[in-house]
Amino acid sequence: MHNSFFSLTTRLLALCGLLLLIMALCGLLALAWGSSSGISLAKISETLQTLFCAKARDSVAAAIVWQVRLPRVVLAAVVGATLALGGLVFQALLRNPLAEPYILGVSGGSAIGAIIGILLGLSPFPGVTATAFVGSMTVLVLVLLLAAGVSARSAVSRDTLLLGGVMMNAFCGAVIMFLISVSQTAQVHHILFWLMGDFSVFSVEQLPVLLAVLPCFLIIFLMARPLNLLLLGRETAASLGTEVKRVSVLLLATTTLMVSIVVSQSGLVGFVGLVIPHIFRTLLGPDHRLLIPASILGGGSYMILCDLLARTLPAGGEMPVGIVTALVGAPLFIYLLWRSRR
Amino acid sequence: MSKEMTPAVTLENVTLAYGRRTVVRDLSLQVGTGDFFVIIGPNGAGKTSLVKLLAGLERPAAGLITLGGRPLTDYRRWELSRLVAVVPQETALDFPFTVAETVLMGRAPHLGLLGMEQPADYRIAEQAMRFTEVDHLADRRLDQLSGGERQRVVIARALCQQPRVILLDEPTAALDPAHQMKVMDLMERFRHEQGVTVIMVSHDLNLAAMYGDRLLLMRDGAVVCAGLPSAVLTYELLEQAYGCVMLVEENTLGRVPRVTPVPAKYLAK
Amino acid sequence: MRTQLLIIFSLFFVLSLLTTPWAGIARAGLVTDGAGRQVMVPADPRRVITFAPNLAEIVYLLGEEQRLAGTTTFSDYPPAARELPRVGSYVRPDLEKIVALRPDLCLASQDGNPRHVVDRLAAMGIAVYVVNPQSLSGIMTAVKQIGTLLHADKRAAELVAAMRQRIEAVARQVAARSDRPLVFFQIDEAPMISAGTNTFIHELITLAGGRNAAAGPVAYPRYDWEKILALDPEIVIISSMAGGRTKEELLAGWRRWPQLAAVRNNRLHVVDADLFDRATPRLVDGLEHLAGIIQSGQESAGAQ
Repeated sequence: MHNSFFSLTTRLLALCGLLLLIMALCGLLALAWGSSSGISLAKISETLQTLFCAKARDSVAAAIVWQVRLPRVVLAAVVGATLALGGLVFQALLRNPLAEPYILGVSGGSAIGAIIGILLGLSPFPGVTATAFVGSMTVLVLVLLLAAGVSARSAVSRDTLLLGGVMMNAFCGAVIMFLISVSQTAQVHHILFWLMGDFSVFSVEQLPVLLAVLPCFLIIFLMARPLNLLLLGRETAASLGTEVKRVSVLLLATTTLMVSIVVSQSGLVGFVGLVIPHIFRTLLGPDHRLLIPASILGGGSYMILCDLLARTLPAGGEMPVGIVTALVGAPLFIYLLWRSRR
Repeated sequence: MSKEMTPAVTLENVTLAYGRRTVVRDLSLQVGTGDFFVIIGPNGAGKTSLVKLLAGLERPAAGLITLGGRPLTDYRRWELSRLVAVVPQETALDFPFTVAETVLMGRAPHLGLLGMEQPADYRIAEQAMRFTEVDHLADRRLDQLSGGERQRVVIARALCQQPRVILLDEPTAALDPAHQMKVMDLMERFRHEQGVTVIMVSHDLNLAAMYGDRLLLMRDGAVVCAGLPSAVLTYELLEQAYGCVMLVEENTLGRVPRVTPVPAKYLAK
Repeated sequence: MRTQLLIIFSLFFVLSLLTTPWAGIARAGLVTDGAGRQVMVPADPRRVITFAPNLAEIVYLLGEEQRLAGTTTFSDYPPAARELPRVGSYVRPDLEKIVALRPDLCLASQDGNPRHVVDRLAAMGIAVYVVNPQSLSGIMTAVKQIGTLLHADKRAAELVAAMRQRIEAVARQVAARSDRPLVFFQIDEAPMISAGTNTFIHELITLAGGRNAAAGPVAYPRYDWEKILALDPEIVIISSMAGGRTKEELLAGWRRWPQLAAVRNNRLHVVDADLFDRATPRLVDGLEHLAGIIQSGQESAGAQ
């Protein structure tokens, strides 16, 4: 019987250790491999030397590793971690296994904001990033107001929230189509790449803004037990001591904030927030004290690999990373669904 | 029978409304410490709403609820969760935890936000599972259990809270007779051994009669009668509350009433 | 003593000659590029990467192709340019491939290349010279700028002079005519797109003696058949790349509207797209072609 109670701390540490190792390996691979050269053991050892030796052997290789690839790998890790964690939290908050971080209108709002920024000719950072962020926050507020206005009681029902988000996304989709239709060809190019997720634009000066999501990770981890309890339903969670409303609002605010920050810099990368939590829930069970670090580290590793594929796979030049996550994520999700039915 | 000075739970002129629909109107009652208190009444009488009020899950529009002499509103949520446990009618199964994980969550009120489970917590959970006879199912997932087993798991979770009051909302509704008895016996044992107050909503009038110290008969959000089973389960009051004819006799098992609803075909006279 | 002074003085003089700014950017130095940026360019660039097909073409025209280390996709003129290593497309240059080629000078185009790539390369210490040809004279400036960067000043001057001569020749022919027919230039199909005032095409049409039917503030406005029927252009020029169709399909699309003057008088002409959308001296070829089309019509009309 004690097997079921195998110390949580031990399991948590083992899990984090394993996933950190995997992430480090993925990161190393992604730093050693790129569009300018293939992969080999020699390349990997060269990259390690570039990373850890004070004097780089070859300044061009060092420039490629440090200034071209490293920012992207960091961005990929943070984006993957944020989206996976966001999906996990939304699935618990909304008690819906199909929830993903864009479900409350973040995708629609940020896309409209980004398109407006591109049409105004703003630079990617801070211009388009700022407009995208404002766009997503605006739509979120609208969805919340809508849900609050419709609900009879003071507590916002999750179904209303879900429906409101889906409707908003659909409406935003129409607006997006309209904006694209009146855009000039060169702008359409930029817009499409933003909509499909684009890591190539990220530069080091954006790092501080990106790292603002790290406190959000911590806050969410501290809420792991309330998240577990929320899965049991609002009333059961309340009867077990959870301040349901306060916790829900805090989680909602934190998650939407961090997802907005990330999306406004990377564009819309899909399927990560849906698939990664499911994979880990299948492997580890529904305890969020394990799932939260797993989603962060696992999501980050997954994204690093997807970005690597996006950079190296196509012969004609890099493709938007959102395509890779969709092409990999969708079949993976279908496979998970199929397996869970047995 | 309660012999304590301060009753466990009191309601004074409590009214609860959802929008324009009043579900509990001007209701007053007292539940003694260690009582086995059963709430009966037709559908829509407000029984579940009453349980939610007692659990602090709903705020009354008017009136006062006290727990152990203190107003319910004085308690913070985590305080309340250490005193009152709720066993709902149904358990959500979207994210099925294992039995062990589910029961262990009953320790949450005692752990706070960051606390990790200690060996003592595991022991309490194991004890609760043994008490409710689900320990052999510890590693099974909730959705792999039968309704009766699941209900006992939820009760075990409630026991882990080490509450002074346990609220059950139709716990035997979907169970076969054997499991029904099992649940009722568990509650009786728990009350006896721990001095816990049991407040239960039930549709089964005979179970209510056999186990309940005191009953509360409700209709349309108001009290029809409260008291001993023999006082509440009379055919006039039952007909008034349920609107159908009930045959009330003495139960050969114990000196309590036995109620049988009378089908229409036997009324043709 | 005096000889020594003389020698010192001459040395000084020669040294100052070598270091004075008027020696031009044939020396390494800080210059201002076509976008107003300060760029530190190398004295003798040997590994040049061009970020747009027209820039590669200009380098070939200047005869300095041996300096090229790479270019973007679609650099296909002259055909030898196809052999050059690719660094992505001109809307998405691949940063890593560029850095890996170790360029000492990059040539970028303000219109089209994303600014953030230019900025990042500059932050990494790689010289990026941005040209900004917005018109025929802008192209001539760009040719001269690139010529100076690559030690091909003479050739650049020759190219520019030739361009000027040919443009003036066309201008003389046009001045001799009196009417300016309305010309509609179709760039794309479904949706139908033409060229507004701020484009090369507009400039070419105007110089060739026509009036651009799509003149206006929008650079690439959309048209539907209703608008075109209302405009009723006298001459229709169709770019060969419009919607990827064949010549017959493109013409057939127009021939469905016999109400149009251009269709009735058979003034529909398909032209090679490359002569009209690349900011290179070949635009003058396009200009001459256009002038020929416009004037031939006038001649036959005159003959009637």
